[in-house]
Amino acid sequence: MKQKPDLIEILRRSREGEYCSAHEWDVKRVPKAVKKMLKKYDLQNKLDKENPVNMDMELADKFYQAGFDLALELGMLNEARDRIVKIDEEELISTLHLAPAEVELGFGHDKRIMKSRTPSDPYPMLFGSSLGITMSEEAWPYITEGIARQPQVDILESGSLCSINGLEALPNDPSETLLCYEQGRKHVALRRQAGREGMPGIGNISAVTEFGQFCYGTRGNFYTTDLSLILYPSEMKINNQTMHKVVHTLAMGGMVFAGSPGMIGGMPGPPEGAVISSIAAALLQYAILFSTVGGGELYDIRYLSNVNREGLWALSVTHQALSRNTHLCTHGIANQVSGPGTKELLYETLVGVSVIAASGASFSTGPRSAGGKFNDYLSPLDCRWCAEVAHAASGMDLKDVNALVKEFLPEFEDNIKTPNIGKPVQEVWDLKNFKPLPEAEAVYNEVRSRAKAFGLPLDAI
Amino acid sequence: MSDLINKLYEAVIEGEEDDALEIAKASIEAGLEPLKVIRGGIQAAMDLMGDQFENGEAFLPELMLAGDAATLAMEVLLAKIKEDGGEGADSGTVVIGVMAGDHHDIGKNLVRAILSANGFKVIDLGIDVGVRDFIETAKRENAKIIACSTLITTSLPYQKELIETLDAMKIREKYQVILGGGPVTPQWTNMIKADGYSNTASECVELCKQLVSRDLEGGAADPIIIGALNA
Ligand code: B12
Repeated sequence: MKQKPDLIEILRRSREGEYCSAHEWDVKRVPKAVKKMLKKYDLQNKLDKENPVNMDMELADKFYQAGFDLALELGMLNEARDRIVKIDEEELISTLHLAPAEVELGFGHDKRIMKSRTPSDPYPMLFGSSLGITMSEEAWPYITEGIARQPQVDILESGSLCSINGLEALPNDPSETLLCYEQGRKHVALRRQAGREGMPGIGNISAVTEFGQFCYGTRGNFYTTDLSLILYPSEMKINNQTMHKVVHTLAMGGMVFAGSPGMIGGMPGPPEGAVISSIAAALLQYAILFSTVGGGELYDIRYLSNVNREGLWALSVTHQALSRNTHLCTHGIANQVSGPGTKELLYETLVGVSVIAASGASFSTGPRSAGGKFNDYLSPLDCRWCAEVAHAASGMDLKDVNALVKEFLPEFEDNIKTPNIGKPVQEVWDLKNFKPLPEAEAVYNEVRSRAKAFGLPLDAI
Repeated sequence: MSDLINKLYEAVIEGEEDDALEIAKASIEAGLEPLKVIRGGIQAAMDLMGDQFENGEAFLPELMLAGDAATLAMEVLLAKIKEDGGEGADSGTVVIGVMAGDHHDIGKNLVRAILSANGFKVIDLGIDVGVRDFIETAKRENAKIIACSTLITTSLPYQKELIETLDAMKIREKYQVILGGGPVTPQWTNMIKADGYSNTASECVELCKQLVSRDLEGGAADPIIIGALNA
């Protein structure tokens, strides 16, 4: 029986594999293979818009089989050399067998154990904040410490920086390397300052290229008990940037957190296609990117979100499929579009994060407040809310989550394409005193009460 | 409508590049008026594809394949119009790419598909494109428009560098430089003296059409801004 290929073998295949141009891959190979699998497993038109949370576990298992088959059929494309890295069935089985079912993150009393979960698993889905929302150099330390001070938030990621001491940082330039070393150092210091030295981290969000990632695991910087963030382009593509990050992380003895969203409306087509593409990518990344955790992300390119019905349904099936059929520690993101201080953002979180948690993901990161598009549009209060929902919804029955979604979706559904982007952090959060401003807190309290009254067990944890 | 126009319409929708090219040639041989063929066979097909994309009935690869088929057919039809001494249908060449460092290409792919569907010849340089590559390609292809996409704030300065380099090379006036992607704003577009910005791929068609028709030199006037989402 063949084993999981080693790094040398993966690098060899990424040079010597079958030739395929990126265009051919994008518009022909991927769409054709996805269509073929949807047909083979009779998975076309399974989306049920009236019930955005899938409750048919047999269907979820069929999606898993199709995703597994798709992984074997496609492999991943190395864009740097137009070569396909293929993984065969025995290798993939060995890879999935070897992947950890439980991962220890951080240290001391802030340590967290991330576990492989199943749908409605009472073991809480962990939550990390935030995503790479850009932040000014002035606000970044306060926002980051503010997030670390939320005891509900399990893992600290923080936002993206774009300059260092006033100098614009350019990707692929020494300024990126410098910026990321500095950011990593401060990230560690801020966790200590917040009284959570051993809180697990994710780094480095500002590493657009491999240069920014070289800080990971070095002295005084992101620890190897933190996760090393390595995102790769959809659908199922790697390149030198991503593989440099992988090699560096492994050399440091660290943990790879890989991920890439299956794109609804993109190359894999309909939500059903994006589900099997997301599953295939999740499986393959454990073989090709040496993932420790991650996989299971989705995005709808027509809505620039995934808290719409199609996106929620796809998230639910993907995580049910992965969690019922593997022991991987998978990851889902709810891509909100509304911004800080709005009740829409809180409802988008309630709906999106609940679906991911109850469907069996091991962890989630967020929020993508204001779609992740505006500088300083992220409040630690919204991070706290995400984590509260993540923990509370973990053990919920899928039927109840479906009811919750149907109840709260109307609060924002019509505005997804024209979202209320809210206010910058300075107008909703007292940066220096680490607490919400009254108006934003009142909105939070209102939504929280409604969620609790509906049955989300918010105080049970 | 002529049988050939119907066939071209089908070929574009199916993304059959070779068929689309052959049918376009056949329509010329059959003496059909190229503008009519473009409208009925290509434009109508792409309008349908655009609607289907919005409604979730067609997806990005179909849109891109249809765009490619439309481009090929369009080329021969436009050549015929020129040969006959006509003008007005040639939308021009656009060089598009994602700025250096940045690998986000879904938005760029959408823009590329929709522009080619609307009669522009689009040269796609892909992701992680250096300033020099944009300029060299635009010169070589005789492009009118350079379209720069980026979703990463730290890649924005490369847009500025592109314009400064065109200035330094004294060829700024030859190109309309347009910008798009998450962190790009109208303010930024104004500040770096680019020629246009649009928020979405479909608005980019209008943007390019306006730029081509206003017939001013690159950098000579205030930029055209379409559909900004403001903070
Ligand atoms: C998908 C995604 C990825 C995928 C990309 C997959 C791919 N093949 O493209 C992956 C996982 C690889 C990825 C990686 C990273 N990402 Co990313 N990603 C996204 C996400 C979620 C969606 C982008 C997308 O595809 N949207 C769908 C398309 C259709 O929309 P669009 O590109 O905006 O295009 C539309 C318009 O902008 C316009 N348009 C686009 N181009 C042009 C050009 C012209 C000329 C015109 C007129 C119009 C136009 O038309 C399009 C359609 O209407 C965004 C979040 C967001 N809000 O955008 C983050 C985001 C862009 N990523 C972000 C970050 C930080 C990263 C990483 C640096 C993280 C990391 N440390 O690894 C890496 C960078 C890798 C790299 N070198 O580029 C940040 C950027 C922050 C910033 N402003 O700097 C964002 C905003 C997320 C956030 N804040 O939370 N990412």
